[in-house]
Amino acid sequence: MTTAAEIRGRRQWPLPKQANPAAPLLEVEDLSVRFAMRQGSVKAVDGVSFRLDDGEALGIAGESGCGKTTTALSLVRLLPANGRIRGGSVRLFGIDLVPKSERQLARYRWREISMVFQGAMNALNPVQRVGDQIAEPIEVRLGQSRDASHKRARELLDLVGIPKQRSAAYPHELSGGMRQRAMIAMALACDPAIVIGDEPTTALDVMVQAQILQLLERLRRELGLSLILITHDLSVIAETCDRVMIMYAGKVAEEGPVTRLFTAPRHPYTRKLLSSFPNIHADRRTLDVIPGAPPDLRNPPPGCRFAPRCSFAMDVCREVVPPEVRFSDGVRVACHLFPTPDTAPLVVASGPTAPLTVGRRADGAHEAAPGIPDVPTPPPAGRPRGLDGADPEDGQRPLDEGRSAS
Amino acid sequence: MTIVTTDPARSPGPRGEPGGPRGTAIRPSRLRGLRETVGRFIARTDGLAGAVILAVFTVLALMPELFVGPLETVVSATGASLEPPSAAHLLGTDELGRDMLNLTVHGARISMTIGLLATIITIAVGAVVGIVAGYIGGKLDIGLMRVTDFFLVLPTFVLAIILAPILLDIIGAEAEILGIRATLLVIVVVIGLTSWATTSRVIRSQVLSVKERMFVDRARVIGTGGARTMRRHILPNVVNLIVAQAVLTFAVAVFTETTLAFIGLGDPFAPSWGQILSAAQAAGAPGLRAWWYIAPPAVCVVLVVLAFTLVGNALDDILNPKSGGRR
Amino acid sequence: MSEPYDGLAAPPPMPRPDDPAAVPAPVSHPAEWSVAADAPELLRLDNLEVHFPIRGGLLDTLTGRAKGVVRAVDGIDLTIRRGEILALVGESGSGKTTTGRVVVKLTKQTGGRVTVDGKDVSSLWGTRSLRDYRRRVQLIFQDPYETLNPKHTIGEFVMEPLIVNRIGSKHERLERAMAALDAAGLRPAADYAARYPHELSGGQRQRVVIAGALVMDPELVVADEPVSMLDVSIRTELLRLMLDLRRERGLTYLFITHDLSIAWVLADRIAVMYLGKIMEIGPAEQVIRTPRNPYTQALVSVSPSPDPPAAGERASRTILVGETPDAAHVPSGCRFHPRCPLAFDRCTVDEPPLFDVGDGHKAACWLAEAGPLNLPVIEAVEAAGGSEVAAADIGVATEAAS
Repeated sequence: MTTAAEIRGRRQWPLPKQANPAAPLLEVEDLSVRFAMRQGSVKAVDGVSFRLDDGEALGIAGESGCGKTTTALSLVRLLPANGRIRGGSVRLFGIDLVPKSERQLARYRWREISMVFQGAMNALNPVQRVGDQIAEPIEVRLGQSRDASHKRARELLDLVGIPKQRSAAYPHELSGGMRQRAMIAMALACDPAIVIGDEPTTALDVMVQAQILQLLERLRRELGLSLILITHDLSVIAETCDRVMIMYAGKVAEEGPVTRLFTAPRHPYTRKLLSSFPNIHADRRTLDVIPGAPPDLRNPPPGCRFAPRCSFAMDVCREVVPPEVRFSDGVRVACHLFPTPDTAPLVVASGPTAPLTVGRRADGAHEAAPGIPDVPTPPPAGRPRGLDGADPEDGQRPLDEGRSAS
Repeated sequence: MTIVTTDPARSPGPRGEPGGPRGTAIRPSRLRGLRETVGRFIARTDGLAGAVILAVFTVLALMPELFVGPLETVVSATGASLEPPSAAHLLGTDELGRDMLNLTVHGARISMTIGLLATIITIAVGAVVGIVAGYIGGKLDIGLMRVTDFFLVLPTFVLAIILAPILLDIIGAEAEILGIRATLLVIVVVIGLTSWATTSRVIRSQVLSVKERMFVDRARVIGTGGARTMRRHILPNVVNLIVAQAVLTFAVAVFTETTLAFIGLGDPFAPSWGQILSAAQAAGAPGLRAWWYIAPPAVCVVLVVLAFTLVGNALDDILNPKSGGRR
Repeated sequence: MSEPYDGLAAPPPMPRPDDPAAVPAPVSHPAEWSVAADAPELLRLDNLEVHFPIRGGLLDTLTGRAKGVVRAVDGIDLTIRRGEILALVGESGSGKTTTGRVVVKLTKQTGGRVTVDGKDVSSLWGTRSLRDYRRRVQLIFQDPYETLNPKHTIGEFVMEPLIVNRIGSKHERLERAMAALDAAGLRPAADYAARYPHELSGGQRQRVVIAGALVMDPELVVADEPVSMLDVSIRTELLRLMLDLRRERGLTYLFITHDLSIAWVLADRIAVMYLGKIMEIGPAEQVIRTPRNPYTQALVSVSPSPDPPAAGERASRTILVGETPDAAHVPSGCRFHPRCPLAFDRCTVDEPPLFDVGDGHKAACWLAEAGPLNLPVIEAVEAAGGSEVAAADIGVATEAAS
């Protein structure tokens, strides 16, 4: 798997005029999206923050209804009619996209951020040739001539592994894997900085999935792409992404480097979710069960939304929304098992349930990972930090540098 | 070991109603679905406008006497010949001195009754043929569809013009079947014969897609026979389309009847709107500038057909299943 | 674009999580009850074939001439013993779903024999015996959103098999339906029976489907991708339910799936299908850990796992080139040879039978002819039809060097 360190850097196109060269590639802060429905308003995304750096691959994982697709759609403002961004900011090169009008947004949509949708058959126009569909955004958005666009379209098809002659084919003439490749070519048409993949391999066979993921990896390397991968399949994220963000019921449960999160998961939901995935390469053949179902977002439970299903739930969990806490290894968690100095007294008062062991050995046993204290010790390691990761009191380096794999 | 225990007395009943011990109620009313449909219907201006117009005409058709008294005949004519609209006769009179308003309102009943009967025949035949052909498929489907095609290409009015006198000859112009005069019956039959083909085609194409759905497969796996499958699984899922088709057919039926009556194939004793128009033409009303003779029935036909079409389209939109119940 | 978000149906009342008895036990293999070695055979497929003719235009229809043949299932042999779970694994186009449909008599086979409990049921199309058969063999469908008729209540759905087959009186049917809903974990059953499908979540609907299969008290259950459309955390519950039902009722499962990982967790034995034929079959542990057919090995190597590869170490994956070809154009010889990284001359000419590679484990591959052989892991296959690793490298004699 390619790590961010190996990526050459983003493509050489000129930045948008308003861009801030020093700003991170994408920074989402406190994003909230509401859907207006007959029965009431639903906050599908409630205060989600994350960041994407040059050449990084971020996976957003969660089950259906957790808000991951809504988050992705709101980045390019492709929400359905009854959805609206109600708060927060989406900064691309430091430019906030949320207050922009539709017309202004056109400068960024597809040219800086593009999307590969789930189910290529639905996203491709069945009565238009594949080559034409890929050439269209080049012609329309980049203003290139028809011939130049078609030439570039054929180059893109070649890049994604489709023979150039197939550019005259209609979508139904292509196999499932080829259609998904065509979708990727379409997303790359205007040479974007970020590609968002919304469950790009879910409907595909496992072998085709492996081919597509291999293709994405190669494109990341060759084009300096940054990737946001939305999927419910943690195994796919484990194999392709640098960082992963686990969402539950519209909020972020845990986020951090893939290697840390998968080997030392902290949030109880993450741990249960991980052990819900069968591991064909492991010795034990065990799957954990998470009882219950995700909450009805019209009426979310007070406090932590996972509390009704959590084996470690304490009284404070049912009353107070857990604040986010950042660890020195780059992991963010929102869970009362890792309290802030403000919430620590509440946690101690409500009494913990079982001692929390974190970390999973290869044979499936759990062990406490170093550097992560067991509850109920007051937390020296978990202190809220700014998004840039700097903590002046600690004297540690900001989290941007030294992103080591383990 | 699976998800366990809940106190039945405390659990919410279906649709959030207060819980309680449930009896053997397996088939609750479908009123809620109906209420929802009505609600969505009301939200649409076009459907609502059509429904209002239809309601007005239905009331007029059901109780004409309430509004204008009994149907005026030659004997009971109240006015002078071809009087223009006045206070006494709001829409003027025809050449026999009958009040136009009276005639027009009574015409509603006749036109709509004929339309209703014709629609029933059309839908009954069309739906059955469509469902059977679509579900069973194979040679039966091919055969039925060729028959349907034959009826589809027949020009309505030509067929009507040819059939009507022949049928009348066979039945006898004065005969009555089930209390309906032969001439009327012929009109109904002719409209039915020429309209069922469209309905059957439309229903059949919907059946073809319903047939592929997984719950039909499941019905087969458990051993459900064809008849039961068509009745319990196919029919409920095409009923929406049937209703929409019925409404549109009604519109066509009224229009067809009007035209047939206008060209003289109607029942002179049943003054439908078409009859009135025919009489108007015979009396030379256009030449005499007696617009009050022609306008009322014509406008009524247009309004009713428009209303049916609006309602039919609105229903079609609302009731069309978009995706198979996926949340 | 995505459908407008419409929330989820109200979930059923949940157990208190701090009550240990209420939290379902994890699904775990091989701690589960396993099949007795001498259990009798329940299902047997002998050389099963399902070929679909491709019809041409009108003229061809009239003359009855077929333009080609889709060989969806092209001669497979399979046995399942009582109480066993056999996972039939394959990608799309492998023929696994068609096989399942033949077993439940939704699709007619064009060749071969189906035997259930010793009796030949291949040509069972008369009414009485077919009804008996349907009572004993049931199907769990893939899509819980589509299997339930949106116009019928849950209770109607579950009682339907009893009504159709005229089993029991009205009262008895009701009782059996309630018992089936209860056994599928939907309690209180009476509550659920009065609801409509759109009021239930995906997991609940799939439980209803299972209840609908249970109500006939079957012996063999064919499950066609029963959990692939469900959320991951719900899947485990359903798998847990299926295992519990096996233990309580002695059910036997033919579990059809494209997901090798689920087969790994659930199945006693695994059969891997490719383009209408079984490539490998045997105890799950052996097929996954020591695959003897290059296709199986490739599938195992690309199945993603939730353990990220350590930095600097790349997981070796055999990513095949291209996709499964059309079942109307099956390659000559071994049908996998155009994409096989270890193919050699003989593979293009002769189709290998299933060779015994030990302990109930069989593989259809010429490399396995002489017995079990450890297949080398080919990392990335750049060209279809073989890599630089010639058969000679792994010590297999060939006619001529390629």
